[in-house]
Amino acid sequence: MRQLVPWLASAAVGFVRACVVVVVSMLVPAVWAAAVGLWIWWWGGNPWPAVVPFIWACIGTLALSRPVCRMVRSVVAERTGTVIPPGYRKAAPVVRMSTGYWWNGYSYERTSRDARRDQRMRLWWSDPATWRDLRFAVIAPVTMGVVAAVPPAGVVAAVVGFGHPAASMRLIGVLGVAVAIGAAPYAWRAVGPVSVRFLGPSPAMALADRVDELTAQRADTTVAQAAEIRRIERDLHDGAQARLVALGMSLATVERLMQTDPDRAKALLREARAGAATSLTELRDLVRGISPPVLTERGLVDAVRALALDSALEAAVSADLRLRLDPPIESALYFGVAELLTNAAKHARATRAWISIAGHGTDVVVEVEDDGEGGAGVRAGGGIDGLRRRLAVFDGTLEITSPAGGPTRVRMVVPCESL
Amino acid sequence: MRIVVAEDLYLLRDGMVRLLEAYGHQVVATATTGPETLDALLTQRPDVAVVDVRMPPTQSDEGLRAALDARRRLPGLPILILSQHVEQLYARELLADGTGGIGYFLKESVFDADQFIDALERVAGGGTAMDPAVIAKLLSSGSSNRRLERLTEREHDVLGLMAEGLSNQAVGQRLFLSESAISKYTTSIFGKLGITDDGNNNRRVLAVLTYLNKP
Repeated sequence: MRQLVPWLASAAVGFVRACVVVVVSMLVPAVWAAAVGLWIWWWGGNPWPAVVPFIWACIGTLALSRPVCRMVRSVVAERTGTVIPPGYRKAAPVVRMSTGYWWNGYSYERTSRDARRDQRMRLWWSDPATWRDLRFAVIAPVTMGVVAAVPPAGVVAAVVGFGHPAASMRLIGVLGVAVAIGAAPYAWRAVGPVSVRFLGPSPAMALADRVDELTAQRADTTVAQAAEIRRIERDLHDGAQARLVALGMSLATVERLMQTDPDRAKALLREARAGAATSLTELRDLVRGISPPVLTERGLVDAVRALALDSALEAAVSADLRLRLDPPIESALYFGVAELLTNAAKHARATRAWISIAGHGTDVVVEVEDDGEGGAGVRAGGGIDGLRRRLAVFDGTLEITSPAGGPTRVRMVVPCESL
Repeated sequence: MRIVVAEDLYLLRDGMVRLLEAYGHQVVATATTGPETLDALLTQRPDVAVVDVRMPPTQSDEGLRAALDARRRLPGLPILILSQHVEQLYARELLADGTGGIGYFLKESVFDADQFIDALERVAGGGTAMDPAVIAKLLSSGSSNRRLERLTEREHDVLGLMAEGLSNQAVGQRLFLSESAISKYTTSIFGKLGITDDGNNNRRVLAVLTYLNKP
């Protein structure tokens, strides 16, 4: 009894989902059925006028295929958590040329509306995803449509069977009920594998997406690099360079004051010595910010250990990584950990952190966890977003879980051939 | 002298003020941003101002622009620009209005405090003072190089020091030569380059700089 209630509940939910799948996948067949019905009823089945409903049905299929696929994709994403990338070609921006005409990537048009419409048509026609959608609209009813139709068909059989006095018909009714209830929790699930198989992007589309992704990443990298170089210039200009000038200035003043006011000269000399020490510290910090010497000398694991020792947090490092990685990957992961530790101390007010570095197959996995307040999110242009982009250059990924109240857990994974 | 100091970094501002005061000058105002600099220059009308090129809010050439702006409103306002790097481009912009009272120096020129204060006083007196690094760049740039081929090595040195803004007497002191020897050199230089020398030191410097700046 205790198991029956949740099972019945799941059967009810499954029945509703099966109905949704049937409706969505049968939209295109319904258009054809309507066309055939119209032909028989209106033209009495004459072969020649069949052209008219046939054309209607074709237009209906073309118009419906993309919405159907979109609905299936959203059902799959919502119910199974599998995200199937749509893979449609993206429209290039429509821009006005100096001649006053509008360019949409294919042709010049007199108005921006014409340009957009023309672009939409051309994109629709040339997009391989359009043909994939059409194929799916044909495949869907005979695969997942048929499977998902089992529970509703059982219900129909039950209604018909119980409505009839004959005993054999009642038997059919009972069978219908049994089939409907038994199949309900499972029948809709065919939507998952079928759409992953037939609705996923083809190799050519995946390749096109990859090219887009790489283009965006290349732009990101260039921007990030320029920003970094400017930061270094600024730090040198306002830091070490300015301190050296101040030092020289103090010495010039001391030279002058030596005769007139030796005590003040002495005080200034002391200040100058302190200034020299500070500028050395600043230079060291700057060098560490560009490329930490310990990373060059000892590799990622020891560099992170050194980082943990210097951190404001009580940070523990556990590492299971024997080999040295490629220097750019080491650097990206090192600065990633540094940024996460800073965030933990500054924003999440954490006191402890745990860092683990491990190799799983050909992946390097670095996890950072703190005992702070959590609530960290990925904001566009924010620190975590920047970190994710820097890892993406190496096809690396970053996952973050940070519920309000903490703890924050971040997992960075970078594939690495040298492992 | 009444001096305005415009510099955004505390260390350098403080150091500069102390240095100027050690030489008995009075700092009447300090500024840390471009707009503040312009304001201080216009309201204080100092005898001379020491202005940094890069300042907030944009951290670009705020100081230089404030100086040029102030000189447009108060022509001839003596300003000495200090920077961590020197660019011929900036030197050209500063000299473009043809009035004197302009100095352009690297920050480390301050290390030789006597010479720096000397240059500052020259600028305050309406003269021109250029950092040797600026002049070296001017003298070695492609177009000058060709035109200066006719000068002897000594004449080359004299021209450089003259372009820095030094008087015949000061050039003589640097090169351990008499003033009259220098004036012989200058006559020869001007003859070779075709610059008219009317005896006014500042106008002469500007003529030389204009000549060197010619593309």
